[in-house]
Amino acid sequence: MASAPREIRDPIHVFVTVSKNERLVLDSRPFQRLRNIHQLAMTYLVYPGASHKRFEHSLGVMHLAAVMFDVVTSRDKVTDRVREILPDEEDLPYWRSVLKIAALCHDMGHLPFSHAAEDELLPMGTSHEDMTRSIIDSEAMAQVWDAVEPHSVKKDHVIKLALGPKKAKGLVFSTWEEILADLITGDIFGADRIDYLLRDSHHIGVAYGRFDHHRLIQTLKILPPAATPPNAEAAEEGKVVDTTETSALELGVERGGLESAEALQLARYFMFSQVYLHPVRMIYDLHLKDFLVDWLTVDYDGTYPTDVDRFLNLTDNEVMAALLRAANDTTTAGHEAASRIINRQHFKVFYSRRPGDVAIFADSTRAIFQAAEQEFGPENVRYADGRKSGIPVTFTVQDRDGKPAASTAVSDAFERLLQPKDEFVYILPELRKKAQKWVTKHGQDIIEAAKQNEQEEDIQEEPEKEVVDP
Amino acid sequence: MKRLQRAAVLVELADEMRARGSWCGETHLQKATYFLQELFDHELDFEFILYKHGPFSFDLRDELMSMRADGLMTLTRQPYPYGPTLAPTEAGEQMKATYPKTLRNRRTAIDFVAEHLGHKDVNQLERVATALYVTRESGGNVPARAREINALKPHISIESAAQAVEEVDAMLVEVEQLKAA
Repeated sequence: MASAPREIRDPIHVFVTVSKNERLVLDSRPFQRLRNIHQLAMTYLVYPGASHKRFEHSLGVMHLAAVMFDVVTSRDKVTDRVREILPDEEDLPYWRSVLKIAALCHDMGHLPFSHAAEDELLPMGTSHEDMTRSIIDSEAMAQVWDAVEPHSVKKDHVIKLALGPKKAKGLVFSTWEEILADLITGDIFGADRIDYLLRDSHHIGVAYGRFDHHRLIQTLKILPPAATPPNAEAAEEGKVVDTTETSALELGVERGGLESAEALQLARYFMFSQVYLHPVRMIYDLHLKDFLVDWLTVDYDGTYPTDVDRFLNLTDNEVMAALLRAANDTTTAGHEAASRIINRQHFKVFYSRRPGDVAIFADSTRAIFQAAEQEFGPENVRYADGRKSGIPVTFTVQDRDGKPAASTAVSDAFERLLQPKDEFVYILPELRKKAQKWVTKHGQDIIEAAKQNEQEEDIQEEPEKEVVDP
Repeated sequence: MKRLQRAAVLVELADEMRARGSWCGETHLQKATYFLQELFDHELDFEFILYKHGPFSFDLRDELMSMRADGLMTLTRQPYPYGPTLAPTEAGEQMKATYPKTLRNRRTAIDFVAEHLGHKDVNQLERVATALYVTRESGGNVPARAREINALKPHISIESAAQAVEEVDAMLVEVEQLKAA
């Protein structure tokens, strides 16, 4: 007799129901490790409430993904075209099970303190998603996959849905698998994004991340994209081929959920502006990275180990213990950066992105940073770039007449939604006033010079001369 | 390739696509960049995967968002029910003047891509870009590649996949001739 599902209390979703299979994942070493990985790195140094962990976030993602699955596969939402890409009805429970397990697993490969500078802390070309894949594929999880009943879950399916097409290198996705992966990690409606906005907002104590996610989820639907004309002339002449029967299907929203979708994207914008790209939060990330580079060089081989067993031994706790040791011992690797974090002596912003300067030269903030490195020494200057945290705004809306339309065609909000674009240049606290005066005096010249340096000469390139050894 | 140098190439490509009448939404620019990189310009260095509507680069999507944040490209809504278009801004146009050599060296390549793709709608672009992807990844004769496209993207019939493969093969011959000239 199958054991009854258990319920876990959750501050966002009230109850998260966990089946026997899911409990096998929950009790695994890789998942339990997430109890000790902060969701928002050292954001708690700015917003004290931000002490929540990847563990509860992953449970929340599983809960939301399951609700979303039930909505998009419900009989009233499935059209004939959708039925073509859906698996047989008797296989739907299998895919629901895979989806929930993949949602639980999707963050298993996070480094201690989550995202902080993984490009420099893992061997070149390795991301935390690659680590997630290695963990799902490892001995640590093998017994879980063996024990899952009644359908043995294929770990390759779990990997696909947990990573999504963007990160699952070399794996080919069917349309159905793409849609399921989108339910977890999708750029627009992914459960990952929905949960972290709600959860981060709740813990931090800001209202920006809240929106009517219940309404949004109830209006999700698998849809063909709106037709797009080859050119404006064709659009005006009405010569647009109806492609709703011949385009790949994707996740969209019914017209009734449009305002909730707008609210989701606005929530993302405000959370980026107010929380994720907060200048003090970003400098703590940089100090932590500086510490980790030194610490890993001494205690490891310069990067986090990618061997799964050694990787799983590292959590925020080990890093925090090392950080405290280094902060209190001037002879320990990483002392300087550790001390800045523990004693709250972080570098200060002396220049941030200015629209007028960007109009002169798009990389003006970086130009100021590079000049400041020359002027004050590279050890005393840091730069943080938030421009790549973009918010995609184009998706399909099923309008009231049942036909698909582009989100931007039915809403003013998406065209006008700003992209996060913060950039900051920081300096040693003691040098801040000097740096401010310096940038006031020389900033414009530096930006003009950087623009000139970028200018290519408009001459034909000479063919390279053959070099002959003397 | 430097970031702004690469942005200048994208601005020029968008300009040339639009000059050929392209709608120039993100899908159009994604597929055009894929062809430009795959046929001529590996320096662009975007990572493309086979995604919902054919080859797609999340790096390129991020780059286009950065360009919008920097005021080099703008997203413009279009009449109902169509998707938005991307167009270079005045600042984007001015930036091209910074990289005359980069753009001159790519003139033939950009013209070639715009000439062949500028008039296509998103479905046609998906077919032909997927055909190039399959040609590069798997190879094989026309029927084999057409079958593979149909298997990967069941909404593309074998017949239209075969036409797309033949179109790509003809383009590849043209590219070789251009490079040899």
